[in-house]
Amino acid sequence: MADAPKLVNLTVDGKKLTAPAGSLLIDACKNVGIEVPSFCYYPNLSLQGACRMCLVRVEKMPKLQTACTTVVAEGMVVATDNEEIKQARKAMVELLLGNHPLDCPVCDAGGECELQDMTFSYGAAESKYMEPKNHKDEQQWSPVVFFDRPRCILCYRCVRVCGEGMDVWALGVQNRGVSSIIAPNKEDHLECEECGMCIDICPVGALTSGAYRYKTRPWEMNHVGTTCAHCADGCKTTLGVRRADEGMEIVRGDNRDKSGINNDFLCMKGRYAFDFANHEDRLTQPLIRKNGKLTPSTWEEAFELVGKKLNEVRMRDGGSAIGVIGSTHTTNEENYLLQKFARAVLESNNIDHHRTADFPALAAVLSGKQEITASMRDVYNAPAILLIGNDPTEQHPLLAWQIRNNVRLHGAKLHIINSEPIKLRRQATSFTQIPVGAELNAASFLAGDDSALNAITASASRENWAALRNQLRNTENLVIIFGSEIRGAAVTAVTHLASSISGAKVIALADYANSRGASDMGLYPDLLPGYHPAAKSGLTLPQMAENAKSGKLKALYVVGSNPLARFHLDSQIFAGTFVVVQDMFLTETATIADVVLPAANLYEKTGTITNTCGDVQIVKKASEVNGPKSDFEMIVRIADAMGYDVRNLVPFGRGETADMGQSRGAQSGEADRHAVWLQANNLEPKLSPFDPMAIFDEIQRLVPGYRVSRLNLLSGNDEHTQLSQSGPGAKHDPALIVPAHDNLFSSGTLGRYSRALNSVMENRNPQPAEVAAD
Amino acid sequence: MPILKNIAAIAKGMSITFMEMFQPTEVENYPDGPGPLKGAKFQERFRGVHVLQRDENGLEKCVACFLCAANCPSNCIYIEAAENTAENRVSGAERYAKVYNIDYNRCIFCGYCVEACPTDAITHGHGFELATFNASNLVYRKEQMLAPMPAHMGANAVFNQAEVNQGAPAVPVQGV
Amino acid sequence: MRFSDQFEKRFAEMLTHYPTKRSVLVPTLLYAQDEAGFLSDEVIAEIAQRLELTELDVNNVISYYSMLTTKPRGKYNVQVCTNIACMLRGGEELLEQCKDRLGIGHKGTTSDGLFSLEEVECIGACSWAPAIQVNYDFHENLDERKMDAVLDSYRKKAI
Repeated sequence: MADAPKLVNLTVDGKKLTAPAGSLLIDACKNVGIEVPSFCYYPNLSLQGACRMCLVRVEKMPKLQTACTTVVAEGMVVATDNEEIKQARKAMVELLLGNHPLDCPVCDAGGECELQDMTFSYGAAESKYMEPKNHKDEQQWSPVVFFDRPRCILCYRCVRVCGEGMDVWALGVQNRGVSSIIAPNKEDHLECEECGMCIDICPVGALTSGAYRYKTRPWEMNHVGTTCAHCADGCKTTLGVRRADEGMEIVRGDNRDKSGINNDFLCMKGRYAFDFANHEDRLTQPLIRKNGKLTPSTWEEAFELVGKKLNEVRMRDGGSAIGVIGSTHTTNEENYLLQKFARAVLESNNIDHHRTADFPALAAVLSGKQEITASMRDVYNAPAILLIGNDPTEQHPLLAWQIRNNVRLHGAKLHIINSEPIKLRRQATSFTQIPVGAELNAASFLAGDDSALNAITASASRENWAALRNQLRNTENLVIIFGSEIRGAAVTAVTHLASSISGAKVIALADYANSRGASDMGLYPDLLPGYHPAAKSGLTLPQMAENAKSGKLKALYVVGSNPLARFHLDSQIFAGTFVVVQDMFLTETATIADVVLPAANLYEKTGTITNTCGDVQIVKKASEVNGPKSDFEMIVRIADAMGYDVRNLVPFGRGETADMGQSRGAQSGEADRHAVWLQANNLEPKLSPFDPMAIFDEIQRLVPGYRVSRLNLLSGNDEHTQLSQSGPGAKHDPALIVPAHDNLFSSGTLGRYSRALNSVMENRNPQPAEVAAD
Repeated sequence: MPILKNIAAIAKGMSITFMEMFQPTEVENYPDGPGPLKGAKFQERFRGVHVLQRDENGLEKCVACFLCAANCPSNCIYIEAAENTAENRVSGAERYAKVYNIDYNRCIFCGYCVEACPTDAITHGHGFELATFNASNLVYRKEQMLAPMPAHMGANAVFNQAEVNQGAPAVPVQGV
Repeated sequence: MRFSDQFEKRFAEMLTHYPTKRSVLVPTLLYAQDEAGFLSDEVIAEIAQRLELTELDVNNVISYYSMLTTKPRGKYNVQVCTNIACMLRGGEELLEQCKDRLGIGHKGTTSDGLFSLEEVECIGACSWAPAIQVNYDFHENLDERKMDAVLDSYRKKAI
């Protein structure tokens, strides 16, 4: 923003106001609180002028003008609310309702329908039309998208968001006049990314969601704003929950609260793939292996057994005979607690997790230097972006959305270096294809090492490479985004490139909801929280497997992870190891466990998670399934069963006056939900040993980057953490990083147990695809 | 003279009493009266236990729009919705109430639910004998409130009479 | 998919007329239809690919314009105008006459594939109403007799 935009003065309804030159009348009005109704106008989408609801009278113009396509001009005098306009709006609504069925009591949009609101505010009570309405049967366009043609008011929002926003162009308009219809790209069905943006943006109930259809009504649900549990982008999502036989059930995912880093966006997974929580295979009772078979038991028995066994091993063989594998799907607090539990209670540094990005290397380069990590919001505003490796369209849908819309709306320059012709190249200013595995060379060349290019390109294209490098070096505020292809030395190279450009920032892409958090919280054998080196290094995950094979690993504690499937380990090697698994389902790893403890998922507990950019966000308890416990509670109770004073693990019950819910007249049996309520009201009781906020205090004290505004965080906003304030990090063997290779419709274990994702997969390719574990 | 005034007032009052004493009785002889109502008499507008109506095809009118529950001041209506399928068609529209409970512990018979109903599915009947020894008996389920089948149907078997004519079985199909 | 050299020449020239490729879509579709008789899926796919559009985009445009068709038409497409000028001077009678003689209705095609019939909006020949258009040729100031003659002449032409 070099110059402040010129302002023009205009008068609306007798109010004098100023607006930036070139802005639209409808926006100018909205900014000063004058409501101009509209259907087809949607911020950041191209203009349509189709619905004619925003008609206003502009002086000296012959007819009523559409406010959504009129640009403000100096001295303009506008009336938005007089008899003439009221009449026009009334007539418009009447025309829209000419064919619109009045099935509001049945329609899914009833209660949050823009046409309903408009009719209520501006419409007439009765229609002049006597003609019968046209009826067409509802169509199913995909497993998750249904189209009810008569309800459609032809605002074309879906067409535009699908094309412009998503770059999918799967929807179009066919025929003309009264017979115009919205049409899917494949005759009678859709072939698209199933993001559901069209459903979200539909002002009426013409496009409805297969997951939510006819289940309930908007006002019957509780709406809980939380963070998505799938990929590492950390979209803010609003979950609609309602009572069910087994606790609270999530019936809808959307983003009615558009304040998150994702703004309008949610992908297929965020919108529909919450159904794993209610999968029939969900474990609800602890299982203990008796006579070689996993048999249901009680929590007390399970905790007692785990405590006793772990104590035994620790006393007899020492902590080094115990391994701990953490999760990329648990909260920061749980991850922190787990490593604290491992190091303090089990006296073992053998802790690791499934690594999908080289954050320790990044921390090592950045430690103590200027902060140059970008947040997800930066991606939307950066003037230029360099993307090395990864395919964000498939693996980081939000990131792809941010990039696409930055290019579309702000004219950002996108440079891509990839071994595959990824879809984002359609937005790219330059796309450079490199051989598989040559990312290090590319990064080194860009960082200044001319010889690095020899291996990857013929001399002919050298000039192009040099030109690209020059261009990047001269681009201020460049954001460099790199996938897991960039590890070890390559991270150093990329970061060097970034620090040589003024204002440049970097983002390392990991794969799971809290991969970054697991890394920041020190689920490493040699790193403590905040990338501070541990006094003594423990075993990495592959080393633990080795030790289990040779019989040196006597006990293994796995929290929310499936190393057996992910690292293709032989189940026999754990024959002599006491294995405890905390998970939602009987995964490959759980089937060989001695004790399986049913765990709650990210939608069922409170805490914070960190997305791949380092943006911390809060997760709030939305749903509930009777039986499982949160990992937090289980860790504490195992520590307790081992005879450890849990006050040393979770600093609770000190100081702080407490509100046990009296102030809101809490009824009995609401203790669990009380935690949610406290969260919502920014209160922190720290009364309970299971209170994650007590641990978050400790995290904020010990991990310098996490000293963010607590107020802002608890209000549901994202806070960027500073990696440069961390400890010195470490250089690890790059082979330890195993990318997830999830796509738009897979999400590890969560995806395997999600009906919505599976139905889309089956719809696409009848042969079941191999789904990655973990 | 105040005393005379008082005596006159009492005499006037007692005269009405004595006059009414010899009129025929207007008290309803419930529950010892004749007929199924046991002597109880109702105005048409009396708001008793709700009746969930059926349409002319015997399908439930309720489409589970939740407006009655939303409107209920005592929050006594509980609904679970489900989608009609070709095999299991319960209501005329796309959705029906899988569960429809009214908690008569809480219901105040205000009639707001009836006002709110867009399909005239819920109405007030004349049932009033709700007393029970166990409060949990006062949670009425849909089956307890549903109107009987229209006479010409006899069963909630099929949506379309034409299908019956073509040989579709006309046996009752459970609604849940 | 192969088009004639003339089509290719026209196509190449049109591309130079406009700043964006998609601008030539409508004339391209018309020329393609003239050549192939109708716009088959194959033609649509080819044009979409040439103009860097999705097939959906092309279909949207085709469905908008009534002169574009995705179904085979007769060799002679008789378009009878029934807008006000023609209607007042007997356009609707002409349409009825055509329906009777050809034995087909609006948007129908005779079984021998010779004629198809269409009721159309104003064809811009009001001064000479009632008028019809057969493919790109106009026939004006018609009455029952002249109409028969027109149809006969086309039938003769075909043999």
